Amino acid sequence: MTRWAMVADLRRCVGCQTCTAACRHANATPPGVQWRRVLDMEFGEYPDVHRAFVPVGCQHCDDPPCMDVCPTTATKKRSDGIVTIDYDLCIGCAYCAVACPYQARYKTQKALFAYGEPIASEAKRHDDARLAVATKCTFCVDRVDAGIEKGLQPGVDPEATPACVNSCLANALTFGDRDDPHSNVFRLLAENQHFRMHEELGTGPGFYYVWDKAAG
Amino acid sequence: MASTDTRRVPTYCYQCVAGPDLLTVKVVDGVATEVEPNFCAAGVHPGGGKVCVKAFGLVQKTYNPNRVLTPMKRSNPAKGRDEDPRFVPITWDEAFDLIAEHLHRARADGLTDESGYPRVAASFGGGGTPQSYMGTFPAFLSAWGPVDMGFGSGQGVKCYHSEHLYGELWHRAFTVSPDTPLCDYLISFGANVEASGGVVGIWRHAEARVRGMKRVQVEPHLSVTGACSAQWVPIRPKTDAAFLFALLHVLLHDIPRERLDLAFLRRHTASPYLVGASGYFLRDRGTRKPLVWDAAAGVAVPFDTPGIAEELEGRFEVESIEIGPDQDVCGEGRRVGETAFAKLLAHTAAYSPQWAETICDVPAAMIRRIAVEFIEHAQVGATIEIDGTRLPYRPVAISLGKTVNNGWGGYECCWARTMLAALVGGLEVPGGTLGTTVRLNRPLSERLKSVQPGPDGFMAYPMNPTDKARWSPRPNIRNAYKAMVPLAGDGPWSQALGPTQFSWMFLDDTPPGLPRVTAPDVWFVYRTNPAISFWDTAALGQKMARFPFVVAFAYTRDETNHFADVLLPDATDLESLQLIRIGGSKYVEQFWNHQGFALRQPAVVTRGDARDFTDIATELARRTGLLAKYNASINKGAAGVPLKGAHGDFSLDPAGAHTREEIWDAVCRAASAELTEGAEVHGLDWWKEHGLATKPFPRTDWYLFPTLAARGLRFELPYQERLKRVGAELGRRLHEHEMRWWDRQLEEYQALPAWKDFAAPWEAAVTTAGGAPQNYPFWLLTARSMQYAWGGNVGMQLIKEVADNVAGHRGVIMNAKAAGELGISDGDRVEIATPARSVRGRAVLRQGIRPDTLLLIGQFDHWATPFARDFGVPSLNTLATMSLDLTDATGSGADIVRVRIAKTGEQAA
Amino acid sequence: MNPAYGPNPWQQTSWDARAACNFVFGGVGAGLIVFAVLFGAGGLALKGLVLAGLALVGLGLFCVWTEIGRPLRALHVFINPRSSWMTREALSATLLFPAGLAAAAAVPGFAWVAAGLALAFVYCQGRMLQAAKGIPAWREPLVVPLIVVTAVAEGGGVFFVAAPLGGGGTPPLDALLGAMLLLRVLLWFAYRRRLAGTVAPPARVALDAAGRLLQLAGTLAPLVLIALVASGAASGAAAAALMAIAGLAAALGGAYVKYALVTRAGFNQGFMLARLPVRGSR
Repeated sequence: MTRWAMVADLRRCVGCQTCTAACRHANATPPGVQWRRVLDMEFGEYPDVHRAFVPVGCQHCDDPPCMDVCPTTATKKRSDGIVTIDYDLCIGCAYCAVACPYQARYKTQKALFAYGEPIASEAKRHDDARLAVATKCTFCVDRVDAGIEKGLQPGVDPEATPACVNSCLANALTFGDRDDPHSNVFRLLAENQHFRMHEELGTGPGFYYVWDKAAG
Repeated sequence: MASTDTRRVPTYCYQCVAGPDLLTVKVVDGVATEVEPNFCAAGVHPGGGKVCVKAFGLVQKTYNPNRVLTPMKRSNPAKGRDEDPRFVPITWDEAFDLIAEHLHRARADGLTDESGYPRVAASFGGGGTPQSYMGTFPAFLSAWGPVDMGFGSGQGVKCYHSEHLYGELWHRAFTVSPDTPLCDYLISFGANVEASGGVVGIWRHAEARVRGMKRVQVEPHLSVTGACSAQWVPIRPKTDAAFLFALLHVLLHDIPRERLDLAFLRRHTASPYLVGASGYFLRDRGTRKPLVWDAAAGVAVPFDTPGIAEELEGRFEVESIEIGPDQDVCGEGRRVGETAFAKLLAHTAAYSPQWAETICDVPAAMIRRIAVEFIEHAQVGATIEIDGTRLPYRPVAISLGKTVNNGWGGYECCWARTMLAALVGGLEVPGGTLGTTVRLNRPLSERLKSVQPGPDGFMAYPMNPTDKARWSPRPNIRNAYKAMVPLAGDGPWSQALGPTQFSWMFLDDTPPGLPRVTAPDVWFVYRTNPAISFWDTAALGQKMARFPFVVAFAYTRDETNHFADVLLPDATDLESLQLIRIGGSKYVEQFWNHQGFALRQPAVVTRGDARDFTDIATELARRTGLLAKYNASINKGAAGVPLKGAHGDFSLDPAGAHTREEIWDAVCRAASAELTEGAEVHGLDWWKEHGLATKPFPRTDWYLFPTLAARGLRFELPYQERLKRVGAELGRRLHEHEMRWWDRQLEEYQALPAWKDFAAPWEAAVTTAGGAPQNYPFWLLTARSMQYAWGGNVGMQLIKEVADNVAGHRGVIMNAKAAGELGISDGDRVEIATPARSVRGRAVLRQGIRPDTLLLIGQFDHWATPFARDFGVPSLNTLATMSLDLTDATGSGADIVRVRIAKTGEQAA
Repeated sequence: MNPAYGPNPWQQTSWDARAACNFVFGGVGAGLIVFAVLFGAGGLALKGLVLAGLALVGLGLFCVWTEIGRPLRALHVFINPRSSWMTREALSATLLFPAGLAAAAAVPGFAWVAAGLALAFVYCQGRMLQAAKGIPAWREPLVVPLIVVTAVAEGGGVFFVAAPLGGGGTPPLDALLGAMLLLRVLLWFAYRRRLAGTVAPPARVALDAAGRLLQLAGTLAPLVLIALVASGAASGAAAAALMAIAGLAAALGGAYVKYALVTRAGFNQGFMLARLPVRGSR
């Protein structure tokens, strides 16, 4: 059974936000709507300080709280683990946004453009259906599905791979089938120590953070 | 959904020095919508074929409503920051007429003015990146004749200036990089590679981290690079030289000598050269070659005598001649000499970690441990096979960042770094410290070929003359690099590597001895905004306002073209056409396993009346009657490739005015012929489809050492006899002309650089400006923002948005505890002030910064650039002053200012 | 090594005062219906109180309707009763209105049905908050009884505010209000203690400010007034007036807690790293 998952290697990430920008491009999200973004986190006190860059976004949980609370069933989970939103069902109540422990969901009430009026690239891609409803990272599901249809392998062939992964300058982001022993994601998780965000909440994120090579 | 016409157009982004990045632009129904990496390039590009975040701003750059889209003419003759230029649209014909009129007048009046300076000046943005966008404009400038390209916009003071100059002298290293793919241990003094190393830097260092390379980041604030390092050492600003000297001390005095690469020092450096009492090499009286002591024979012999065993340490009395400046004989006969290495030992004896501890505010034990780790990782004696050749393997390196390797102290840091590499034989060998490009030595595109034999067994270097016969106090351009900075050389890049602030400073007050510095009759400005990116920006603006005729190639209105007379809209990145060289070995981490060419091509139709730079250059050449010279210059290679070569003649007819397609078609054909040694000749259409083509670049060419060794040359280390001589000669020349205002800089010409309080000039600047030093207790520093650096992209909403995710882009970074003591909370409005000026912004409180340090990322404080003028983020450049006191011998300064900070009365947001 | 690393959580901005008003008005409306039925009011009093309760519930729902992005699709809210407490809240409200109207029309038995649905409605509201896993102050299970009890307590408060119009309360109801207030404040303490280490400092500040108001204005003051009335220190109109003041204070104290819970203490938990990345060799 396929379970699409993302791995962020925190050893590699430099917080450059290229994935953020690439996501904005690929998904034509409006200003401020960053389905993928990278946190700049600081720990400790001077002079014993550490700083880490942490890619976040929808974690495509096994048990997504956003889906349970959704009154319209707009939020669904596919059998391959990708959590989707049906923009035509969503009423924009934002209940999912407060239910998500990862602050992954956005609601844009009015059309927003970089410079006020839409520029040509924005006008070309603006979609009213995404206004006033919940939106979030889709794992670039359209690319994944179209790629599979063409016989491509998501996470390996760029055309079938999420834009953030394609763009990552540090090779910090990896996408693939968590349950396939031959996949890059499976291998990464097997060879390294990792954790998931807010594991204690029991949401079962499909997003893993690698922090060190496997012990021993 | 309506059917759409979707194309992916291959092109490149070279907005910063760490490029080029190869990308594709998705074009839907003629509208550029998305940027993606050019996945076809992944196999040849050393950064996985990825594309930097800046490139993602290019779509907005194209459609930005704030673009200047028609030529404009100033209608308000009064110039000043507070004067509305009242630009009015004109046709291209009118614009060309206007420019040609001024150019004709300049030519009629003589190409140089009464001071001997070119009447035409041109300024371009940092690191030579505009050249990848200006098409054939260099051919126009070359056809024109003398042009002053020394009005800086930050060049020379905001670059790795000392590294550029001394790096080229010592190991053809205009930029220095660790051999990251093989390096195991890297000490990085403020080198912010994760912000300024581009895609390749980020990619390689990420690979290296996962591989286990340990990077120790020594810097006053925890940069993104510090964040990604194994260890952060918060050093006091401008004390890096002391730390480096202490590392030298540990290696030279505290560990067994045999752990150093003694064979390398003997054979491949000047360590065994004998130095006489006057501080110059003792030379063979007949051949005038420096002498070494041959331990086997027990006699002094010229350094290049075959079969000798050079003695590294000791004092020897030898028959010799010692020659000083201007060929003066300091002494001749039996003279006592000491090896350069022995001099080095004595020189570093006092620089212990304990000594450095109080200077650097870093525990001595930590400095010692880092030195020991360095030697432990160096693997002295190890070798590695690269492309079938066995080479020394020394996986340790040291990199230096901005403000460490420029301004006062830059020389000392660069020397110590290079010496540390030499002590373990880690200079220009796999895993070690490498130079990656040349800009002062020729040929620029082939670093190894620039290794030519020079004096005394060292590489040749194109030093500007300091002898009486050839030195002149009448420089060719206003920044006087030829007269003042021998190391700057006199090549195409030298103008920008001189003291580029002098052009501005001396406009008001030319120091004695130099011809009065004048405003240029015509000033061209492209992809640069010195009114923001240099120092003392307010004064700089006032000076620009006095320039009689300024032609600005304008993307949007900005703080520099606010003073322009004509604005010309050039086609931007996704609209224009140019072929450039890629790969080989270039800036910083850009050393590839491939080399070739990439095309930038119009992905979309040019907006408005914007025009391709090549067409603009051709028309300027036509209107100034320079077409023949212009075409000849293109034929000679001004567009990047000589059109006539061993593999074909694709020359343009010198008489005609050619379209950009005709010109670049010829360049494309010449490039493909060169690349394939004549096997394939592809025109523009082929390149438009394929975007790039490459051939292998041998990895052994990353390393200079084998070439030096093969030619029997030595690294000019440790003892800087040549610099000492050059400095002495320069001093004599200047004094002969009553020029004493450079005396302090002359002191930098030391054979073995000594520690000085390198921060002192900046502290003294407070007093000079009328302030009490104790009232200005903070060091204000700056750091590159990866999202903005060199990009000229402050007008891009996307860039602003994503950059704001990185701490410090919204205000001044300050230590949280230090802020607390001043009653400053996160987000508070604060004022940062010198005795002369002040700026305001918001406090961003962090733990990762020294309590005595403030940090302003990037260069903002815009007041004219649309969008950016609303940021409200201050800039160090507004506060920093230009002065001779803050200028080192290479003509460089550093981004550091002594300031105070206080909360303003305004409410936190 | 510190087991948890995270940047500062921030106040959620998805639900603003309009959503808070649904909890405030919905709670007090439902509570009023419950209290009115318990009072055994009949005739005009019951009619008036139930209709007022329905109006308050309706007002709350109207407020939240103005907040949703696609108000014209509001009916989609009913699609997911299987797992969404928002759907269940909407369903219980949908049933509450006809039942309440029937009760107001004095259809026998419907008063108790309406009271039951009103309780179901506030229970759904409590579960709604609890299901919002992103907000530590909401997902605490004790939020459910707190929301239910505070609704009844506020409804009781409003009941006493309205009581002079309808003939006043009775000693058992005084006692019931007092008991609800005590229960509410005890639940508050328990809830607050359970949150101790899990909510962001600014959320704690907001909760404690609301808690102080709840304790003093929402609990202590009304209890003193109730005690005064119970001790016979006041009677008749004066007693009714004192009880009305006590009721108002009780209602406002509780209402503010809910308002603050949504708009001031709705901090997410930010992001936490279980481990720091190892950059190169240690």
